[in-house]
Amino acid sequence: MSFHIDVITVLLNGLQQGAIYILLAVGLSIILGTLKFVNFAHGALYLIGTYAGLLIALEINLTSGQLQEWGFSQLGLGLGYIPALIIVPFVVFVVGLAMERFVVEPFKDRPDTDQILVTFGLAIIVQELFRAFFGSSSLPFSQPAWAQGPPQVPFLTAIPISSWRYYVIGITAVLVLIVYLLVEFTDFGLIVRAGTRDPEMVELLGIRLSRPYIVVFGIGAALAGVAGVVGGPLNPVNPTIGNEILVPAFLTVVIGGVGSIAGAVLGGVLFGLTQAILVATYSAWAQVGLYALAAVILLVRPQGLLGEAEVAS
Amino acid sequence: MSDESASAGETDTDASALGDAIGIWAPRGNEVRIVAGSAIILALFPFIFSRMPVVSDLLQGYQSLATLILIWGIFALGFDLLLGYTGLLSFGHAAFWGGAAYATGVFSQQVSGSPILMVAAGTLFAVLLAWFLGFLSLRRGGIYFAILTLAFAQMMFYMSSSPLAFITGGENGFTGVETGELFGMFALESELPSVLGLLLGTWLYAFVAIITVLCIAFAYRILQSPYGMVFRAIRENEQRAEFVGLNVWRYRLMSFILSGLFAGIAGSLFTIHGTYVPLSSLYWTESGEVVIMTVLGGTGSLFGPMIGAGVYLYVENIVSGGHPVDFIAPFWHLILGLVFVVTIWMFPRGIWGFVRDVRDMITGGDE
Repeated sequence: MSFHIDVITVLLNGLQQGAIYILLAVGLSIILGTLKFVNFAHGALYLIGTYAGLLIALEINLTSGQLQEWGFSQLGLGLGYIPALIIVPFVVFVVGLAMERFVVEPFKDRPDTDQILVTFGLAIIVQELFRAFFGSSSLPFSQPAWAQGPPQVPFLTAIPISSWRYYVIGITAVLVLIVYLLVEFTDFGLIVRAGTRDPEMVELLGIRLSRPYIVVFGIGAALAGVAGVVGGPLNPVNPTIGNEILVPAFLTVVIGGVGSIAGAVLGGVLFGLTQAILVATYSAWAQVGLYALAAVILLVRPQGLLGEAEVAS
Repeated sequence: MSDESASAGETDTDASALGDAIGIWAPRGNEVRIVAGSAIILALFPFIFSRMPVVSDLLQGYQSLATLILIWGIFALGFDLLLGYTGLLSFGHAAFWGGAAYATGVFSQQVSGSPILMVAAGTLFAVLLAWFLGFLSLRRGGIYFAILTLAFAQMMFYMSSSPLAFITGGENGFTGVETGELFGMFALESELPSVLGLLLGTWLYAFVAIITVLCIAFAYRILQSPYGMVFRAIRENEQRAEFVGLNVWRYRLMSFILSGLFAGIAGSLFTIHGTYVPLSSLYWTESGEVVIMTVLGGTGSLFGPMIGAGVYLYVENIVSGGHPVDFIAPFWHLILGLVFVVTIWMFPRGIWGFVRDVRDMITGGDE
């Protein structure tokens, strides 16, 4: 019995970790697939999501950083986790819109390397802004009291996993499904997909692509924001989390296949499960194994598991 | 550093006279002037930076930072061979820098503490690693290359953080570096005799500076050669280079290995300089730092990246300590980020490009 429980615990932990990767990867992937834009600042959006979620959900005591020095040692709205989950996506959506307009647009016709460089620079700026104002020490972002224990459902009470992790998996599933339906079955999605295939032709037909594009970027950003809110309470919160999660998120995209939502989901699940299984068995090799897996997949199947063709370089 | 066309004729005659005597080792183009110029500047640099009466008070520089600037300068110079000349953006150069740093440390502990052998060992390790990783990551272009190099470098980071911790010291870094004396005679920390001591300071600086000059000469040689011309041709138009019959893949791999070589030299010197290898030397932000230095200083130029390294390290070490103004100290990294973004946005040719533009404006252009 206890072995079964261990296995289920590991798998659920893996799914939950995968869910965070999926939320980030879906956003990155649709941005890369449609706008052909490489966003190294996606981790920064996750960072903004985490801090915004923290400040909306709780009231925290700052122990370092400029804000504390200026006398704002108590900060935050303390509205609770549900309002945070609702407000943050809109905040980060707006940040995403601004970013599309002021960064992506001017860099559309510049080479890939310039896009990577400028977004990498932006990621540093965001990280350092948070570091300067909120300090570099980790902030307390605990899981809500109502989601700390295992859920009170007959079978699941025996599994030592907080209900928060189930919520993470559930929220991810719902959001990804919504985005999938939006892209596959609406007029908006049709335009976006057509624009991915042949932007010139779409514009010749009299359809303006700039508006769907900016919305796509906003949606991708909002997903990263949600990932920040749900992922924040699971790890220590400090200014470097954005850059730390960027690398696995990017790998999830490329092993899944650029532009494919299903690929991002598959990649995320694969990544999360591999990580959880390795942590439970050969924990020293966990991270190495993850990158080795990614490298092997990329070398054997360069377009990613579910990718059709590679992005023109 | 010099006008490329102004006195080319004169040096060419020098070169050909010399060339008969020393064959393929003969200097080409402006090599003599470039090398002599850099040697003079590097000889004066630590004095001006850390000991000259008024200037050093203004700059607040110190000897060990001068050495560090040269070391990162070599790293950035090599990185620019790849980014600026061949047009490939790697986010995994920390693997070569940190890998060489660890290799050097382990070599010093297990085999020999001779600084020259240490640099040779670290560099050899980096070159072999670059060959292997280049072979794997160069199958893909553009963003895939950036992400693959990033993934491999992160793999190295996690390797040394736990599975190989018994060699590398894991989170604590490698602490067992045992640097011996240069040629078995001169301790690297000791001062040079008489006027050299005033100018250069320590043996360590002299050692690093000589290697830096050799690196500059080597890089200049490569870039002036037909081989280096192919790198630029690939950057400008890969397809066309392919059509004239060049094996693009092979040249790219060589460019990657060469830049790994420079990163290896720099990484080895970093170990000798710090007598310690931090785990963070393999982390991907380290790759990011060399990217920033190179772009800030100006890609596609010989001296730009070195200037970029100097500016970056100056801000990181001096401005962060509250000099010249106290209140910007906590924002030093933010300022670097902002300057970096502005550079990419508006001055893609970096500080060096800006300097050249100003010079062309004053002299009315010399082309």
